[in-house]
Amino acid sequence: MKKRKNNINPSRRKFLTGSATVAGVAAASALVPIKVSYANHTASDAKGLPGFIKWKKRSSLIIHSDKTMETHREAIGSSVITPIRHIYIRNNMPTMTDAQIGKKSQWKLKVEGVKNPKTFTLSQLQNLGRTTMATVLQCSGNGRGFFPHKPRGSQWETGAAACLIWTGCPVSAIIKDCGGLASGAKFLTATGADMPKQLNPKKALVERSIPIKAQKDAFVAWEVNGVNIPNSHGGPLRMVTPGYFGINNVKHVGKLAFTGKESSVKYMKSSYRISPIGKKGSQYPSCWEMPVKSWIVSPLKSAKSGNLVVSGVAMGGTKKVSNIKVSVDGGKSWKKAKFTGPDMGKFAWRRFVFETKLKPGSYKIVSKASAGGKSQPKLRMENRRGYAHNGWLDHGVNIKVS
Amino acid sequence: MALILKFRNISIITLFIVSITSSQSWGDVMKQGMEIFNEKAGCAACHVLKHAGSKGNIGPNLDYSKDSQNVAYVKDMVQNGLGVMPAFGNDGILTPEEVDIVSKYVAKVAGK
Repeated sequence: MKKRKNNINPSRRKFLTGSATVAGVAAASALVPIKVSYANHTASDAKGLPGFIKWKKRSSLIIHSDKTMETHREAIGSSVITPIRHIYIRNNMPTMTDAQIGKKSQWKLKVEGVKNPKTFTLSQLQNLGRTTMATVLQCSGNGRGFFPHKPRGSQWETGAAACLIWTGCPVSAIIKDCGGLASGAKFLTATGADMPKQLNPKKALVERSIPIKAQKDAFVAWEVNGVNIPNSHGGPLRMVTPGYFGINNVKHVGKLAFTGKESSVKYMKSSYRISPIGKKGSQYPSCWEMPVKSWIVSPLKSAKSGNLVVSGVAMGGTKKVSNIKVSVDGGKSWKKAKFTGPDMGKFAWRRFVFETKLKPGSYKIVSKASAGGKSQPKLRMENRRGYAHNGWLDHGVNIKVS
Repeated sequence: MALILKFRNISIITLFIVSITSSQSWGDVMKQGMEIFNEKAGCAACHVLKHAGSKGNIGPNLDYSKDSQNVAYVKDMVQNGLGVMPAFGNDGILTPEEVDIVSKYVAKVAGK
């Protein structure tokens, strides 16, 4: 059992509020070297994986349950983009089967809250508009495993996150084709079609509302990392909300509505709320925009003395990550690290390296990213369910150099 | 010496009685636990649990996770719910005794 210090920073209550104007993002370039793994095969080391994700690479995943798995810290690789066979699995509803989905080209998306409400098929959306974008997909509870009060839910550390390239139809193109927004639209509300019919929609429907400003960057995607989105990742059509936590990227999306109010279902009203420990309710902030964050990817345990390359990832949430620093003495002194690899836009993460020389001994290596004028805090923001952890101290690694 | 033997005999008899009692109680827990799981609480509709013959696919497969073998973990879930799972204890769907019994049952049989 790892020991975790109880580092509390109760003053950090409003870090999810406020957002700079979201400008357009650079599309993922086809020119950069990106390793793409294909989804339509069974992995050679799939032993122990449930049937719906037999194509995943078992050795890249930490299994929390048959429906929740995170990527090993080092298994995001050293490229910017996370191989699809390594991406974490976290589903609120069972993954839809091919039989339930039917003919994928005929998948339907109903659009409401516009001047001319319509229902589009996937084929129609593919000819309505197109965008390709790299985004970080991160579970709201990524880092929950670092909270000492042991919040309920999967004990994710760093692996409920991935950087992916999506292709889809911009929400703005859909709005335009429907004659524009109806009056009073304040939220973009996406609804999943994956709820089993026997369940009560108020308690089980995956329906998420985000501020209407997010529609500028949002799109509905049918492709990820060069392949059709697998069912287990929300195919054939998934909402992508760049810069927003994973839950807002609704899987198997069947409806888009531009609404005056947030959805009243449980997954919007009471779940995914960042409340103080011991309290809950819809008055607390929802898991929307992701905060700036980084973590070390290698080394993780040990290293040889002499030259050492420390590497990691840094993300800015809805803002471009601008700076990354590394400390090998637990945060007493910091030095600037350098970004490596392609810049795939502000919604993607950046790889970074820090080249150093270390003598034999014990080191606490930590990283601290900045974006939009804000830097990662030292400590996590304590909250009931262990959401939105971006404190740099807990994400550090203890290294023995010999 | 005779006194020690006497105490030993009493201890053996006591252990035997306790063993029988707990054995009977455990049998009751298993029987009632399965009934609660399959019927009153309806856990079977959402979870796979081979021992109970259930094949629900909404929540985690209870035979797949080691957490399901931890009675405190299971009891916490049954009491408080999580996500779409109701708070069977807090919402009064099950009595405290039923929460205890079904949790012990699941922890005992999960993964077996």
